[in-house]
Amino acid sequence: MQKLLNSPWENLTDPVIAIIEDSDEDFYSFWRATQKLNLLERLTYNFLRFEDGDEALEYLLRQGEYQDLNAAFPVAILLDLNLPNTDGREVIRTVKQTPILQIIPIIVLTTSNSLQDIQTCYQYGANCYMLKPMGVSEMQQTVQILFQHWFQFTVLPSYGQFTT
Amino acid sequence: MQIVNLPINNEEAVNLTNCDREPIHVPSSIQPHGVLLVLSEPDIKIMQVSENTFDLLGLTPAELLDRRLDEFISSEHIEAISSCLDRSFEHINPIPLKFYTPDDDSTPLSFNGIVHRAITGELVLELEPTVSIIKNDFFQFYHQIKNTLTKMQTALNLTELCNLIVQEIQAITGFDRVMIYRFNENGDGTVIAEAKQDEQEAFLGMHFPDTDIPKQAKHLYTLNWLRLIPDINYQAIGLATHQEEDSEPLPKLDMSYCSLRSVSPIHIEYLKNMEVAASMSVSLIQNQELWGLISCHHSTPKFIPYEIRTICEFLGQLMSTEIANKEANENLDYKLYLKTLQGQFVERLARTDDFVSELIADPEALLKLTGAAGVAVCQSNVDITLIGQTPTLEQIKTLLPWLLEHYNQDIFVTDSLSRLYPLAEEYTAIASGVLAMAISKIQHRYIIWFRPEMLQTVNWAGNPDKPKRLEEDGTITIFPRQSFELWQETVNGKSSPWLDCEIAGALELRQAIVDIVLRQAEDLANINLELERSNSELDSFAYIASHDLKEPLRGIHNYATFLLEDYSDMLQGDGAEKLNTLVRLTKRMESLIDSLLKFSRLGRQELQMYPIALDQLLKTVTELFAINPQWTNCQIRVPQSLPTVLGDRVLLEEVFINLISNAFKYNEQADKWVEVGWLESNSQDPNFVTIYIRDNGIGIREKHLDSVFRIFKRLHAPSKYGGGTGAGLTIVKKIIERHGGKIQVQSVYGQGSVFSFTLPIESNTSVIPEIATDITSNPHP
Repeated sequence: MQKLLNSPWENLTDPVIAIIEDSDEDFYSFWRATQKLNLLERLTYNFLRFEDGDEALEYLLRQGEYQDLNAAFPVAILLDLNLPNTDGREVIRTVKQTPILQIIPIIVLTTSNSLQDIQTCYQYGANCYMLKPMGVSEMQQTVQILFQHWFQFTVLPSYGQFTT
Repeated sequence: MQIVNLPINNEEAVNLTNCDREPIHVPSSIQPHGVLLVLSEPDIKIMQVSENTFDLLGLTPAELLDRRLDEFISSEHIEAISSCLDRSFEHINPIPLKFYTPDDDSTPLSFNGIVHRAITGELVLELEPTVSIIKNDFFQFYHQIKNTLTKMQTALNLTELCNLIVQEIQAITGFDRVMIYRFNENGDGTVIAEAKQDEQEAFLGMHFPDTDIPKQAKHLYTLNWLRLIPDINYQAIGLATHQEEDSEPLPKLDMSYCSLRSVSPIHIEYLKNMEVAASMSVSLIQNQELWGLISCHHSTPKFIPYEIRTICEFLGQLMSTEIANKEANENLDYKLYLKTLQGQFVERLARTDDFVSELIADPEALLKLTGAAGVAVCQSNVDITLIGQTPTLEQIKTLLPWLLEHYNQDIFVTDSLSRLYPLAEEYTAIASGVLAMAISKIQHRYIIWFRPEMLQTVNWAGNPDKPKRLEEDGTITIFPRQSFELWQETVNGKSSPWLDCEIAGALELRQAIVDIVLRQAEDLANINLELERSNSELDSFAYIASHDLKEPLRGIHNYATFLLEDYSDMLQGDGAEKLNTLVRLTKRMESLIDSLLKFSRLGRQELQMYPIALDQLLKTVTELFAINPQWTNCQIRVPQSLPTVLGDRVLLEEVFINLISNAFKYNEQADKWVEVGWLESNSQDPNFVTIYIRDNGIGIREKHLDSVFRIFKRLHAPSKYGGGTGAGLTIVKKIIERHGGKIQVQSVYGQGSVFSFTLPIESNTSVIPEIATDITSNPHP
């Protein structure tokens, strides 16, 4: 089972997937789908949710209330594009321009299928762009594929953290 | 060295084939009432002299030639002449001087000396004997002029001014007859004012043809404001000079400015025929052009001293400056009326966007604006509105291209169209006068006013056609006029003339219209700007619709589904049913949002235009239908090979998929089919082909045919025929229109429909190679 952390301090050892999503409903749909994942339960993922870009960046850059946080960086970032305050595109740009963060895969999960959005995200260095589908079973399928691809078959840069 | 008499240009002139060619400015002879001297510079010696010196000075030419002038007149006058050699002589003329005969003790002779520099460069002194009764009294001159000037300024109009001038000139000079001629645009003169002796025949209102005063004479009138012929029966006096033997003959003296210049024999003949013995003319000049003449006649010889002539010349110049003022006051009431009309038009036009309908809204006013009887308002070469008496539509259509070549600064005015444009002879009664103006030559927008023929009687002073004789050598000899008796002519094919104020009214209207057109262009630019802005707003709206609206929708959809998943056992059948409906509705809303997004993007995205073989494209589409089990029992028929068109592959595929799936969807037959065909010839535009898609579907009621392409307009309930957003056909139409084509539908309700649309084909050969390279350079076009 995947676990949703209340704060990064809750678990400082296990790998974390950061998810930046402002919509509670969308997050709940996503979360519900992850609970039904049909995967080899090799590892337990800790999910850490941020509701806006500013907080997520403070966490990633270890600023503000996170400046004393002594935990590993997340193994991947799941990112919604249109966010309150700092926009998803800006998050990608900042992460990919920050040397200690730039190896973290960013998977964009959004409703927008505008060509311009897609190109901008990849240009800024996003690693994957996926559309949020309409419909529960479609969402289930999307999450299933996402996890299989990124967390089962793909070797992530933080591979060492998974195996230890 | 010998004294030679310079040849007089005389008798040859009588035989001129055209008196316009007579060199009247170099007659080499003078009238005998004065002496002409040509002086050398700077020593002021007498180089040429008129041969009548003995009569007037008591010395022969031989006694004068090569003598210094200061031997005869006082040095102060010599100085006066020398001092203005390089300047205007006008302010010293006349120089009252005494002529002393050196060897004689008799009293010196009094003369008015008139100095000028000839056009050919010589210094010329003319001596006219002083008439003793005239005193050079400045105050007398001043009072005379002041009195006349006051009267001139209070004259109400041109007629009054002219009458005043002829009376004043007659009073000053004592001529039997003083007239004012006014020249029209053809050069014909009309007597517009006359002061005469009671017993004399009136010339007032008479026309004199252009040829009565030849061109070069008219030119001399503009150089020299006054011309006096004291006695037409004079004997012309030649000029004498000292000349080396065998030397080149002297160039002829240009006598344009000489007051003594000899008169053309033709003119003398003319005056004789008129029974005139002495004449004087004063020029009236407007804008450097001869506007008219003050012409004075006397039945016996009459000399007018220089001082009096100066007063007459001055009055002529004063009158010339007053003409413009008085003409402006001419027809003042009519001008004011036209101004009011113009103002009303400008005001009305300022408030409208459609100037044509505003113009023709008040046909009476449009006609009155230029005093016309008919008007044609042309919006294009074919869209022509006729008001009042005009030529037929066909005649006007023929006239338009001719007019196009005759506009002068977008306006063309004539009072005798048929003289310039022979085809108009058919309709001179209706349109002898034409006032045409071009608002836009490119868009063929014109307003053309017409005036009917006005048969008019012109009173000529004698037959205006000069008697002619064809000579044996083929030349024509023209004789001076013999008769000045009233000779009436009826003029055909001519309308009343267009007045300047009427033409000005038309021009003002044109300006108002041009302003409107310009304003419309500006408005259009603003609208475009606004459109661009709202387009980009629409774009961001589409984005918001796709993103922000879909998020809560997704929430509703998902949560309804979660309810069904998690609590289905607790829900009654009815509750589950309602939740299913909710889920279905959210799906539908999403597809509506998607369609809207797609439609709004379609208008802006760049089309990827390539040659597309429709056969190929349709094959792909057919395969797509074939693999979908939904479309079993459905058949796509292609009876003939389809052409290659120019288009965006993805979008054209969508067109076919949309139309074909519609055909299958709205179909109740057991075996459903569509037929895709095309028509090669498109009469409207050879660059387009027409494709049609025919089906055996349910058809569309005729009353709905217009609305099928409207966005979100559906003809059936969402539950019937598999639903649909109602945007498919709108998108199809937009795609076709983006390709420059048109789409239409024909249908027989219950039997099937035919959608036909046009698509561009490769017609422009210059485009083909470019596209061909594109294809080769891009393996996946």
